[in-house]
This record gives sequence, structure tokens and C-alpha cells, in this order.
Amino acid sequence: MNSAAPASINEYLQALRLALQATDPALVQDALYDAEQHLRAEIAANPNLAESEVLANIVKSYGAPDEVAAAYLETESRVQAAMAMPMSSRRSMEAANRGTTSVGIWQRFFGVYGDVRAYTSLFYCLLALFTGVFYFSFVAVGLSLSIGLAILIIGLPFFLLFIGAARLLALVEGRLVEAMTGERMPRRPATRPRDLSLLQRIGQMLKEIRTWTTLAYEALMLPLGIAYFVIAVVGLSLGAGLIVAAIFEALAAAGFVLPGQPGIHLASESAWMYEWIRHPIGLLLIALGGIIVTTVTLHVVRALGRLHGAFAKRMLVTL
Amino acid sequence: MNDTHAKKFQKDLNAGLVALVLLAVLAATDEDAYGYDIAKRLQPPDGGEPLFKEGTIYPVLRSLSASGWLSSRIVPSYSGPPRRYYRITPEGRAVLADWLAAWAHTRDFVDHFTRAATQPQSPSGSTP
Repeated sequence: MNSAAPASINEYLQALRLALQATDPALVQDALYDAEQHLRAEIAANPNLAESEVLANIVKSYGAPDEVAAAYLETESRVQAAMAMPMSSRRSMEAANRGTTSVGIWQRFFGVYGDVRAYTSLFYCLLALFTGVFYFSFVAVGLSLSIGLAILIIGLPFFLLFIGAARLLALVEGRLVEAMTGERMPRRPATRPRDLSLLQRIGQMLKEIRTWTTLAYEALMLPLGIAYFVIAVVGLSLGAGLIVAAIFEALAAAGFVLPGQPGIHLASESAWMYEWIRHPIGLLLIALGGIIVTTVTLHVVRALGRLHGAFAKRMLVTL
Repeated sequence: MNDTHAKKFQKDLNAGLVALVLLAVLAATDEDAYGYDIAKRLQPPDGGEPLFKEGTIYPVLRSLSASGWLSSRIVPSYSGPPRRYYRITPEGRAVLADWLAAWAHTRDFVDHFTRAATQPQSPSGSTP
């Protein structure tokens, strides 16, 4: 099976990483975390044995790297299949119900209203403004304080604390991204070499690309969050506004006196559109436009969620 | 060759059993337990080989927790990184009761037919 039995925790983790090579990096991070925790506990429980002896026992009790890798892949695929089932069975039912392609396109266009992902992505887009402001301020304050304090004795521990907090924030953000967009993100922190001195750890952090992509992600969340928020709010309020305005105009045209005077008007009475807009067909077209804008917004928001999930994975996990 | 067949069979058998055993272990204790601690409780009473490797329990614990059958909390530890403690939820206990019934049914059913195979003398099955 494996060429040589691992003699240290690092070798074991290396072998496990190799066995999981082609799989989702978020899964690899979780598996490495679990293994490291367990192996360290095992070594702590056997203080009178050498690390290599403990590891020889571990391969028997915890499992060889390939066995453990296989167990993770199997559990993951079973959980994924269980979660994906309702969605795919619903899709196939839809497909079975509607045969022709033209109906299929409409079905797909308005099917977004039945997709949970559209609403969770919408929620993520709205929330992104606030998380974005928070992440950005955190990074801006943390980085500038780190640089400012670098000449003082507390500069180094502060920097360590800052990076540690930034990673924790990235893990939490990952959980949020997975819950809202469905992108598989790590559930456990990344494993990193231990037993280093303060300076070595700082050097390690500075060298690691992921440190910088994490900080960049958190800083970028401000402009991204603003953009997501604006797209979602403008799209939905424009759509809803057109629909409601058409209804109100129709009611006013039918002679209903609305409370607080007919305050909503799509055009002023002098505008050339005025006549056209008050025509029933015009109102119908406006309402239809509102429905289309709302639906397109949901599509856009869902696509944004998917794109952002991939982006978060790239920045926070893959490297 | 024979050995790998036996291993593959054992793996197929274990597919749902790991989750059942983990729920049972957590239902049997009143205190929260963390991964390593749970793994160490899975020693068979006769000192033989455990049914599955300790490394296989972590992903299952996580999926049980994601299903809401286990609750978990993180507790800082003096001896290293923080530990995740698990506890069975009321839903978990309900699921466990269902699974135990299914397991008892399966075991009786399988026993009924395999007993005949291990006692070739009585060809008419094992109705006592």
C-alpha cells in the first residue's frame, strides 16, 4: 500500500495530504486537522514512547493514511449525495413534467423562485455590505497597528494575534459562504507547523501566500459587499416598484381614491409618456417589466453567490 | 486475496454501523466527549480488534453533527489546541431508537439464515 510507514506526525500528515491529493481542498483541511489533533493527543497520552513507536501504533489504531483518506471520501460523498438528492430529484421531476424546450426555458427562468439558493444568495448579498465593512475595518486597523507597533516590543505578539484573528474570521466567513452559496468550505482550521519560536512563526506567516490572500479577501469584501448590496437592492426595489406602481396606476385609473392622494406616478402629467402609460396595455407592460426585472435580479444574485463561493474558496482555502 | 475480500466486506458492513455505534456511545454517557476520548472508548470489551479505525469516526461525527443529532461546543484545552466536545441531542436519541430497532431486526434476520450455514447438520433451518 504505502511505501514507508510514517515516523513522525508531519510525515503522517504529508502522507494523508498525498492520499487526498485530487479532492476538495476544504475536505483535505478538515481531515488534516482531525488527524493532527488525534495524533498529538495520542503522543501526549504515551509520554514514555518515542514518536516513531507511537506512530507505528497509530497506523494500526487510527488507520494508515490511505485508509483514513478513503473513509473521509466515502463519508463526504454520502453526505453530499444525501444533501443533493432533493434538488436533483425535483429537477428531474420538472424535466419529466415539461417535455418541450420552449416551456423548459420559461420553467428555468421562473424556476429561480423555487430555488432556495437564490434566497440564501440574496441574503448573503445583503449581509455582505455589513460583513464587508467589518472585515475591511478589521484588516485596515490591524495592519496599520501592526506596522505602527513593529518598533515596539508588543509589535510582534500583536501581529501574531492579528493574523490569528484574521484566520479565525476567514473560517467563520467560510462557514457563512458554505451555508449561503453551497460551496464546500473548511470546517476546521488549517494545520500548520508547530514548535516554532515567535520569530520563526512570524516568518512562516509572512512567507505563506494564504496569509496575504486571506487579508486581501477581507479587504476586498468592502467593495464587493457594496456592489452585491447595491445590485440586490436596486434590482429588487426597481422590480417591486414597477409592479406596485402599475397596480396603483390601474387602481387610480379605475377611480379608486387611494389614501394620501395618488402619490405614485410613473410620469408627470406633462410628459409625453403620460398618455401611453395610463393605457391598460402600457400598465400591463410595466408590470411585466417589473416581474422580469425581479426575476433577473434573483438569477443575477444566485450567480453572484456561486461566483463568490468559488472566489472565497480560491482565496481562503486553495492556496 | 481472501484478506482483501474480507476487508471489503467489513467496510461495506461498517457503512452505517459507525454512525450507530457513535450515537450509542454518546447516548450512554451523560458528559460531553471529544473525538480522541470517544475513539478511546471504542475498545472492544474482550481486548480484540475494534471494528473500525479511529480515523474513520471524525468525518462521521461531523456529519452527525450537521444533521442535528449531535450538538458540539469548543472548549480551550491546556495541553494543546481547543477541543470540540460532542453531546447527543433529543433528535439524536430519537434517531438512535429507530436505528436500534432496525439493527435488532437486521441482526435477527441475518442470524436466522447464517445459523443454518454455520450448522450444516440441520438442513431444515434453525426453528427450535
